Amino acid sequence: MITVNLEPDGKVIELRRTRSVLGALNKLKLRSTMAIVVREDELLTADRKLYNGDTIMVRKVTSAG
Amino acid sequence: MKCQRCKKLACVALPSHHAGFCKDCYPLFFTRQVETAIRREKMFTHDDRILVALSGGKDSLALMLELKLQGYDVTGLHIDLGIPNSSEGARSKVEKFCDAHDLKLDVFEMEKWGLPIPDVKQYIDRPVCSICGKMKRHHFNRIAREGGYDAVATGHNLDDEVARLFANTLRWDTAYLSDQGPTLPAAEGFVRKVKPLFRLSEFETANYSFLKGIDIHSAPCPYSTGASFTNHKELWGELEFRSPGQKFQFYNGFMQRGKAAFANLEKETGATLHPCDTCGSPTSVGTCSVCRIKASVAVKKAEWLSESEYEAARARA
Ligand code: SF4
Ligand SMILES: [Zn+2]
Ligand SMILES: [Zn+2]
Repeated sequence: MITVNLEPDGKVIELRRTRSVLGALNKLKLRSTMAIVVREDELLTADRKLYNGDTIMVRKVTSAG
Repeated sequence: MKCQRCKKLACVALPSHHAGFCKDCYPLFFTRQVETAIRREKMFTHDDRILVALSGGKDSLALMLELKLQGYDVTGLHIDLGIPNSSEGARSKVEKFCDAHDLKLDVFEMEKWGLPIPDVKQYIDRPVCSICGKMKRHHFNRIAREGGYDAVATGHNLDDEVARLFANTLRWDTAYLSDQGPTLPAAEGFVRKVKPLFRLSEFETANYSFLKGIDIHSAPCPYSTGASFTNHKELWGELEFRSPGQKFQFYNGFMQRGKAAFANLEKETGATLHPCDTCGSPTSVGTCSVCRIKASVAVKKAEWLSESEYEAARARA
């Protein structure tokens, strides 16, 4: 299971059977240039693997106005 | 994915550039894009004094830091809007940032000037954001003019520019279409306006900010609606996904081939400008709209206060 801290919404979402950043973004209905993804202070590109137990921060980049 | 420059593991992938970069090489990519923007659009030189509009958002802080790192003579200007539970936070973020990076900063307070934004919301029957935006542009320009600056720089990125161009195109707003772009040259009473981040997307500035340790959490303004703008950005996000580079092509194509036609159109109908008789800012009428709004709020506020005093006296009697 992957734990996602979704920002700026402040929501915590748990994803099952997700093995890559791209997979996580797809489940969140985000394209790869719509959010930055961080694991332990490291930015991840969409092709990176995720492992069971990972916690990632997904921050949408669109600012309103 | 590997870094295009040094072949280490990439941390940022940029489909529109068919490239990926590692954390050490990405800031170099960012710097190149800003340098290209400044050079090609003739924004400013190392002899110019530049006033940078600092809202507290990641884009304005990233811009300020990058220009300083490139050795430009930059001073930040933050406008404290006087909105409770919002403006203090934005202001202290800007102050801390400028302290930490040894950057020059001016703060202008709307409340001290006599018109905090909540008063606009309470007493003026028009969308607060359009007036707030007008106020900010007015003061940035006025302070730059009075301070003898050569240019005012703002942190608008490619997504901001495309969303705005798109909205104005949907309305065929010829006045706006004749008058947008990464560099607006100085004109009678107006200081040159520049947007050095216009080649970079919101995603690209977000990555830069993250890698530079700029706090990218920003609480939205309580008055923000931003709905249509955000919708347009999402639409464009999808278009960009389907054909990477589309955003820049749309914007750049307009600048190269579309804008001139609208500018010609406006030349025939545009008004002539004179200094405002109250504040000296350029306007097509005697007193500029900012001074008129300020006066009108003062009148309505006085009426409202004397009415409530009257009510209070009646209640006591
Ligand atoms: S959202 Fe807030 S800061 Fe932005 S223009 Fe509207 S009132 Fe001003
Ligand atoms: Zn590299
Ligand atoms: Zn005026």
